[in-house]
Amino acid sequence: MRRRAWCRGLLASVVAVGAVLGLVSRPAAQTKEVVIGVLYPMTGPVAQVGIDSVNALKVALDIINTDMNINLPLGRGVGLPNLGGAKVRIVVVDHQGKPDIGLAEAERLITQEKVHALFGAYFSSVTNTASQVAERMGIPFLNAESSSPALTERGFKWFFRTSPHDGHFSVAMFDFMRDFEKKRGIKFKTVAILNEDTQFGADSAKVQDELAKKYGYEVVARIPFRTGTTSLDAEIGRLKTANADVVLPSLYTSDAILLTRTARNLDYNPKVIIAQNAGYTDPKFVAEMGKEAEGAITRAPFALDLAAKKPLIPVINDMFKKLSGGRDISDVPARAFTGFLTLADAINRARSTDPGAIQKALRETNIPADQLIMPWTAVKFDEKGQNAGVRAILQQLQGGSYHTVYPFELASKEPMYPLPAWSQRR
Amino acid sequence: MGTGEPVTAVKAQEGTRASVRRVWGMGLLAVMLLATLAFPWVDRLPYHRDLVIRVFLYAMLAQAWNILAGYCGQISLAYASSVLQMRWGWNPWVGLGAGIPVAVALSMAIGYPCFRLRGHYFAIATIAIGEIVQTLAINWDFIGGARGLTLPFQKDSLLAFQFHTSKYPYYYIVLALLILCLLVSWRIERTRLGYYFRAIREDPEAAQSVGIPITRYKLIAMAVSAAFVSAGGSFYAQYVLYLDPDSVLPLSLSILICLLAVVGGVGTLWGPLVGAALLIPLSEFTRIQFGGTGRAVDLLIYGALLTLVAVFQPAGLVGLLGRRGRP
Amino acid sequence: MLTIPPPDVLVQGILSGILMGFVYALIAAGLSLIFGLMEIVNFAHGEFLMLAMYTTFWAYALFGLDPLVSVPLSAGVLFLVGWLTYRGIIRRILGGPMLAQIFATFGLAIFLRAGAQFLWTPDFRQVTRAWVQGPVRMLGVSVGLPQAVASVACLVAFGALYWFITRTETGVALEATAQDRQAAELMGINTERMFALGWGIGAACVGIAGAFLANFFYVFPHVGSLFALIAYVTVALGGFGSIPGSLVAGVIIGVIEVLGGLLIAPAFKYVAVFVLYLVVVLLRPQGLFGKF
Repeated sequence: MRRRAWCRGLLASVVAVGAVLGLVSRPAAQTKEVVIGVLYPMTGPVAQVGIDSVNALKVALDIINTDMNINLPLGRGVGLPNLGGAKVRIVVVDHQGKPDIGLAEAERLITQEKVHALFGAYFSSVTNTASQVAERMGIPFLNAESSSPALTERGFKWFFRTSPHDGHFSVAMFDFMRDFEKKRGIKFKTVAILNEDTQFGADSAKVQDELAKKYGYEVVARIPFRTGTTSLDAEIGRLKTANADVVLPSLYTSDAILLTRTARNLDYNPKVIIAQNAGYTDPKFVAEMGKEAEGAITRAPFALDLAAKKPLIPVINDMFKKLSGGRDISDVPARAFTGFLTLADAINRARSTDPGAIQKALRETNIPADQLIMPWTAVKFDEKGQNAGVRAILQQLQGGSYHTVYPFELASKEPMYPLPAWSQRR
Repeated sequence: MGTGEPVTAVKAQEGTRASVRRVWGMGLLAVMLLATLAFPWVDRLPYHRDLVIRVFLYAMLAQAWNILAGYCGQISLAYASSVLQMRWGWNPWVGLGAGIPVAVALSMAIGYPCFRLRGHYFAIATIAIGEIVQTLAINWDFIGGARGLTLPFQKDSLLAFQFHTSKYPYYYIVLALLILCLLVSWRIERTRLGYYFRAIREDPEAAQSVGIPITRYKLIAMAVSAAFVSAGGSFYAQYVLYLDPDSVLPLSLSILICLLAVVGGVGTLWGPLVGAALLIPLSEFTRIQFGGTGRAVDLLIYGALLTLVAVFQPAGLVGLLGRRGRP
Repeated sequence: MLTIPPPDVLVQGILSGILMGFVYALIAAGLSLIFGLMEIVNFAHGEFLMLAMYTTFWAYALFGLDPLVSVPLSAGVLFLVGWLTYRGIIRRILGGPMLAQIFATFGLAIFLRAGAQFLWTPDFRQVTRAWVQGPVRMLGVSVGLPQAVASVACLVAFGALYWFITRTETGVALEATAQDRQAAELMGINTERMFALGWGIGAACVGIAGAFLANFFYVFPHVGSLFALIAYVTVALGGFGSIPGSLVAGVIIGVIEVLGGLLIAPAFKYVAVFVLYLVVVLLRPQGLFGKF
């Protein structure tokens, strides 16, 4: 018995180590190109976001690597002109939304794929661990969409974020409430905060809670709930009980669909809904729930209806639609696109792939508003690595699609207020 | 042929074969040990080192689960959860030390009432407890809530339990933990404790009727198991420096841990290690090869493989290796 | 800490909890039936539900069939899925260790989920123009019409299932197989066929539930796991193998979920459900109506 157990054990260990040693390392990248490691969730519940973002990066690569003659950074000429026309290539990996895989992948991308910079990773939790590796190894990490404010508060030297974070977004909501009160001569007194309970929702709710106090609104209900719930009946009941003037939901797509339908079925009629992006700007949500969710306001860093003021938007959107099978470019991929061009532009200005030079070039980034598809004033990093030129806008669903309603000078429509009751619709 | 003589001859022969095999076995084991000790110096790719660290960590967690389930026959699908989050804050070593008794106490408090339940009722009860713990953790700001805790980035030192520049110490610490866990399981397997555990697994009623105090031994198994999971959790926290309930508490993590033990071979000493050594690199490989396509090919392969193993090799892959040794 | 909502909100909550509970119950019934037959828990049950919802969705998207029309289609497709799962996988692991049984169906679950993403992308999809949608007034409050229709349908399906098992010859043979396989074989029952049939019917229950669910719930590859956990707790609370137990437990869970959310906090609504489960099984280890 014992002998056999021993032998088995040995065989097992041989298998163990063999399996590990047997992993073939793949050839390193060639020198005449610039390689960027891209981390996104490509499987699991939010895989679509990862897929869309990678498509947006492919659009960016087209613009960089071929001569397009458009007014974007690197929009003219082939490749990176300052590096002898070197082409940019991406290595996409799936981190499955797991922080430990993000950590391991960041390390693998740097040491094995020899990437010159890292890009990603959507989930704030994964961005957190993956950027630690970059910080340690001295490789630039550009984040274009994680919205946890804490990420740029860590004192990292190699971490840069082009996107606004929850703080910026939520400030815009409260600014809107204040300005709208003045404009219409009304008064909002109470708010209810409804959030799903992952890091995104929890962060957002915390910021909103603090801001509400600062702006002088009473938070009559703070309702966190388990994301991916099978029903929102109890949550709607809570909202009805609280009867707040303004509802502030922070939800992913699935919960946003469910909230809209449940509100209709249970006849819940809030006067104003201001959502924290995510689910509310998912193109699928807009296409299918646009009518039912009529009147919902969401914060957004991007809007297709800014096309009149930003002619680049339809150009990029057409390129994106070819890759995505007809889906419009939405907020997250648009941010990924912008972040990626910022990174490529910095590498070009660095005139080398030396990490220190890229870091320095990123620090000196200053992309003017007319070269952005975002409604920002510029891309320009502060000492913490946060883009200081961000500006959030608010959009409202009117007639089944989003229209910019705030800041008032960028608005394409008047805000609809109050929302019609369900019984008076259609 | 005569009767007595050949029998003794065969016995003697068997005896020699046994000792020869044992020598071989010891030799091989020593080689293996040397190979694992030398590995980080031979293969210097950090990604491989990271992979092996994770193999060892998961092998240890799976072995810990194995002590409880494999030897004792209780399936606690979700209980990794009760423990992995015990460890937020404090000096890492103090935390590791303090985490163990807390984990043990907590697991016994949960385990005691639940051991009355049988089979699937117990499994679902542990899932229910896991979900409750996760919900509490998410809504408890003291331990970071849903936003998680970022552990402070410190200079590499043994005291701070952080070694980011080389990672060699991480490798040896987790290797030591794994070896300790294997040694404990090995001791258990060949003492009266292991005998009782197996008896309880095979037939709890019969075990009780011959006077084995079932609940006490189940509690011992749970305590030993919880201690190792707690140590593993502490290691994870120091390694990743970021903890949030969605990454350390979900049901999927607990299931992954059982999965390694089951695919390798439940109730065997080497099963969890074999399972971890095969499945972790496999999932990494499929994820890297196909994960970027966004079509879940990696999980497709993983799921199919899992079903195939369960159907055609239900005793685990260790059974496949063992078959060669059988006459 | 207790919040007392206004009476109309309370009535509305309880009512919608009961309606949802019937759907939970039918999902759980399939699981319970299979367990009663051969003491195997199907961990791919949630993924069966997902397949049913996709069947309904595609029937709608490609052929314009309303979910109410495609109920038989979904039930039929799922019957086939269940039958094939038994013939291809379960038959081979019947005598195996319990853990191998768990992981065989668990592997199937991962496979189906990944397969759904492979074929149909991880997008959220939904039936946008169903015949029944929007609110309906019951007891002076507003609830979802699709939910009301689904709960009535689930009750009917439950009745049919109960009638089939207790009143038809095949059903009685099924019940006999569940009680004692050897004895059933001696009586000339083809137990192999009964097992396959049990899987088919168990999956068909999910097929019906899934069709009605797709009427008001979004579909995506992971949708099954949301409902599966509740289904397992429902089955265990009602008692493994007991079909009436599933019905009672489903409704209890539906109501507790809403009440927990309304009175305590929505974050803890599932905690309320799980705590209830633990209390029940600690007092009665075989669940409410279980024999095992």
